Amino acid sequence: MNDVKTVGVKKKTMKDIMGIISKNSTVIIGCVLVLMMIVATAFSPYFLTLFNIQSLLRDIAFIGMVAVAQSLLLLIGELDLSVGKIATLSGVFGGLLMTAVGWNPFVSLVIGLISGIIFGLINGLLVTRLRLNSMVTTIGMQAVYSGITLVITKGKAITNIPDSIYFLGKGNIANIPVPFIIAVIVAICIVFFVRKTKTGRYIYAIGNSREAAKIMGIKVDSIRVLLFGIVGFISALAGILYVARLGSAQASVGNNWPMNSIAACVIGGVLLTGGVGSPVGALIGASIICLISNVIVLFGVNVYWQEAVSGFVVVIAIALPSILSILREKKKIRIKGE
Amino acid sequence: MKVLEAQEITKIFPGVVALDAVDISFNRGEIHCIVGENGAGKSTLIKCLTGVYEPEQGKIQINGISVSKNRKMFDRVAYVPQEIDLFEHMTVAENLFIPFNRAGIHGVINQKELRQKAIPILERFNIDVEPETAVKDIPVSQRQLLQIARATAFEGYDVLMLDEPTTSLTTTDSEKLFNIVKQLKDEGKAIIFISHKLDEVFEIGDRITVFCNGKKVADASINDVDIPWVVTQMTGRSLNEKEVFFSQKVEDEVLLKVEHLTGDGFEDISFELKKGEILGFAGLVGAGRSELMQGVFGFRNVYSGKITYKGKKWKIGDTNYSVNHGMFYLTEERRSQGILANLSVRENASINALRQVRNGMMISRKKERTLAKEVVASYGIKTPSLEKEIKFLSGGNQQKVIIGRSMCCNPNILIFDEPTKGIDIGAKVEIYFLMKCLAEQGIGIILISSEMDEVMKCSNRIICLYKGRVAGTLDNNENKEEILGAILGLNVADREEK
Repeated sequence: MNDVKTVGVKKKTMKDIMGIISKNSTVIIGCVLVLMMIVATAFSPYFLTLFNIQSLLRDIAFIGMVAVAQSLLLLIGELDLSVGKIATLSGVFGGLLMTAVGWNPFVSLVIGLISGIIFGLINGLLVTRLRLNSMVTTIGMQAVYSGITLVITKGKAITNIPDSIYFLGKGNIANIPVPFIIAVIVAICIVFFVRKTKTGRYIYAIGNSREAAKIMGIKVDSIRVLLFGIVGFISALAGILYVARLGSAQASVGNNWPMNSIAACVIGGVLLTGGVGSPVGALIGASIICLISNVIVLFGVNVYWQEAVSGFVVVIAIALPSILSILREKKKIRIKGE
Repeated sequence: MKVLEAQEITKIFPGVVALDAVDISFNRGEIHCIVGENGAGKSTLIKCLTGVYEPEQGKIQINGISVSKNRKMFDRVAYVPQEIDLFEHMTVAENLFIPFNRAGIHGVINQKELRQKAIPILERFNIDVEPETAVKDIPVSQRQLLQIARATAFEGYDVLMLDEPTTSLTTTDSEKLFNIVKQLKDEGKAIIFISHKLDEVFEIGDRITVFCNGKKVADASINDVDIPWVVTQMTGRSLNEKEVFFSQKVEDEVLLKVEHLTGDGFEDISFELKKGEILGFAGLVGAGRSELMQGVFGFRNVYSGKITYKGKKWKIGDTNYSVNHGMFYLTEERRSQGILANLSVRENASINALRQVRNGMMISRKKERTLAKEVVASYGIKTPSLEKEIKFLSGGNQQKVIIGRSMCCNPNILIFDEPTKGIDIGAKVEIYFLMKCLAEQGIGIILISSEMDEVMKCSNRIICLYKGRVAGTLDNNENKEEILGAILGLNVADREEK
């Protein structure tokens, strides 16, 4: 009797799990990530080594943080292409305060973060007050931020960063890289913000229909500016952690962050049109992108080919959800035909 | 002669049987009307008949050929959807002939050639615009006609489906449309006409089929039946035509006072809304009724004027302020400005009342579900589950969610903009009754409607707008002609003559 009962329960839970998996795109993409890791472990002996995992997590930390931030904007149907340059400029700014000005490194860090918030708010105010398209606006602004970085640094890296902040970028706690821990904390905060707070729900409302949100009395423009500010803050955080990782502030950091963060969001099921998706998906998407470039190195792909191959795999990853739905439709039609 | 025939069509959605073994056929030279409440299965039927949905069971034959053998047969069915889906930034002529290769235009698009081809069609359909005008610049009524013109611009169709073609049309424009439809019928086309307006059905139809809960419940020749019969078939209850729904408890306290308000689409408008009153706004499409109310609500620009609420100055141009002070606007554009399409029924129902379902900072899922359940239960919303995305619900059920979520916030003033647009008679009466109850609880209600009967049945006073100005303020016991005259601008013309 007992056996029969447990089997019954098991069957039901299996069915439930399958149901959850097939409905929830975040779970699907999570499964893809796990699958890729299994494959990587099976084919490369170097993958599952402490050194490799640590460097992988460190990569994920930066792209992941920026992708989580970017997902906030994508959820309201905006995007920010200046995330990389905000990161660089904030990093350079903080770095300069520590070295040339000689302030306390941690005070300089905080000021760097504040400058990031300000850059984000500038983006947000431009987009909302002048009613501009965020993509075009941030293309312009990223040139501005990049230009200011060049003016400040004259193209040279800022070295002599005090080593008291190195642990933020290079350090490990219980073998887990510190930046990764910070990224996870950021992601948890953002997920909490989006899922559990009133403003978080309003983000989805705005993404679904800006007009409907306004008619509901939601302060649409304030929320949009706020989100640009948050994105500026997180970008600056990533930029400063990167300074701590390298031990120097360089103008070339973060060039590929805007594109990678958007790709990560799309892989993670965030719609570019807004209103659908979750920051968790963005984090998983970022992990997949970093995993791809990691694995390509481990598999010994020719150095010159690496970028092309990883780009191609990213496109496949982006196309995956839509390929699945095409196959599902085909299957349905075939069943009908018979 | 049967041109389109469906046998035993069954379509199942998760949790709902949308169509249950429906048999229906359509003949040449006949206007076949389909009526039914929201969610009765009309739209699903159409989507099956046009090949958008694949029914789980059943056969569809067009001209005697089964569509499962030849899907091209669906091209013989011209379909005009309920919502206008033209390309707004393209010209009238371009819209008419898209896709171009179907219209026999290949390679380079020659605007002159388009114009020449467009003019006879536009003339035929009484569309009085230049072919080069962008669609966004022509009135809604012309767009509706243009949609029909587009669907029928090609010779190769046998069946024309019109899904609620008159929702955004005035009476005169509807008449024009009916004449065209009758012409097409005389040419031997089979016409399927879906409408909530039963007087239209009886004006134009030859046959009538009634749907209820996914089943075909009755069909008859239109000459054999009358409106009460149809309503009884649709709802299972009989209709009391004389029933009125205006508030019985109008108080003297003035809730909202609007003085000389001028803005984008309206000019120098003054009115007062009393506590417990239903104030109707009548007018033609484009008379500025929605624009005025959006201005009062803060969604649209106001250039000058003054609004006071309970004697205090009202902040103009801030929807957040309006909502926080208990003024809600229930929009006419439900799909684009009302619902949050990709969110669930639960999220849509609670969005205005998130403050009430919080534990500290956090939204409590449990409290939220309770609130959503209450909304669903008290407004009789039909949904497979609370987690279903609202875009899968029928129009009437979406509207009920929107009303329900506004009611969660104890409103003082409710602005209903065409609340029963695209909603069936049964649900309409429910909404009228709801408005009356709300007004009698002391809420001030503003009702914008293009349906004369609706305004007259529900309003304590009626303000008529014409070209963005007040053309008359009337009591609800004044006769229909008086109001009609006002909304057509006749007394404005009188005044100008004097």
